Amino acid sequence: MTITAEELAAFADGELTGAEKERVAAAIARDEDLARQLEAHRALKTRLAGHFAPILEQPIPDRLTQLLANNVKYEPGAANVVDFAVAREERAAKRRLPAWGWGGAVAASIAAVVVLSTYSGEPGPAYAGTQIAQMLEEQTIAEQPSGADERVLLSFRNRDGEFCRAYNAAGEGGIACRDAKGWRLEATDQGEVGGKAQYRMAGSDGEILEIAQEMAVGEALDADAEIAARKAGWRAR
Amino acid sequence: MRRFAIGLAGHPADGDDLCQMTIERALSRREQWQDGTRLDSWAYRIMRNIWIDESRARQRRGQTFVDEDAGLLVGADGAQEARMELGDIDRAMARLPEEQREAVLLVMVEGYSYKEAAEIVGCPVGTLNSRLVRGRDALMALLGEGS
Repeated sequence: MTITAEELAAFADGELTGAEKERVAAAIARDEDLARQLEAHRALKTRLAGHFAPILEQPIPDRLTQLLANNVKYEPGAANVVDFAVAREERAAKRRLPAWGWGGAVAASIAAVVVLSTYSGEPGPAYAGTQIAQMLEEQTIAEQPSGADERVLLSFRNRDGEFCRAYNAAGEGGIACRDAKGWRLEATDQGEVGGKAQYRMAGSDGEILEIAQEMAVGEALDADAEIAARKAGWRAR
Repeated sequence: MRRFAIGLAGHPADGDDLCQMTIERALSRREQWQDGTRLDSWAYRIMRNIWIDESRARQRRGQTFVDEDAGLLVGADGAQEARMELGDIDRAMARLPEEQREAVLLVMVEGYSYKEAAEIVGCPVGTLNSRLVRGRDALMALLGEGS
């Protein structure tokens, strides 16, 4: 029974599973030469990783970040409206940064967005408190003072056609969608509130907007659409 | 992205040019990216295609990329580039055939699975596996490692 170089590499890179993995492992245990080759493979991998790692620590040249920054679309009077597609590209840029490369970073950003689906049946969805609900109900992005503590970041429609708004209220960020009962929280960066909340956790305006972008169907509402939606009580159709 | 670009190009300045072209092309074709697929794999695919086109174009013009040794010196001059250790590994990587170099970079540096790497490169998993082994063996020989 021979182990090919390909099999050994696949084993070293964690590509094998089940019987195949056991077969190679057993062969390595019996054969010093194979064990040495495995060690050499791993050593090279470590050396290469160490060699290329400093690139991630270097500042990214301006000409690269500017390519992305220049694509951010700021609309007059709606300073926080972000072009959805551009936000996507910006996330791509951010993913260059973490030391474990994109694979890990992507996994991390997806983890941040995973729905906490602990549907315990009993506690239904959480709703925004009075103060935030009032802001969501009344404030339009175009009218709000630029430095306001309580800001709506983005308004959009979700898959169900509901109006949703991403906001930041004195550092407390989240996304809420309007249904018959009120502003139902979809995401928040405040951790779990009231035990097993079923909404998602996020960490910053960036992440909130990222989640909003994933929830959104179609473009963000512009100033006129916001006023129309407010007139309709933010109720879908 | 910069890491993969610099690894492919074997030179920080070329790598950043490659990165810039990749971002520009990705932005201009953003609607081609499919939701739910990995953005990084998509970008890497674009990058390697640009790199291949670029390499061919330069070969046609009878130019090589910055001469290997000159390139290392140029890189070492720049303030930023100096932080990257330019040495045996870069030299050895530069000697690998393109397809082996990208296999080594994607798996051993970027940490992609064979399947993901094969998708980026557009070849069967088995082919990726054998390119990786050949590239790895060549690197070890050049670096004086291994059995």
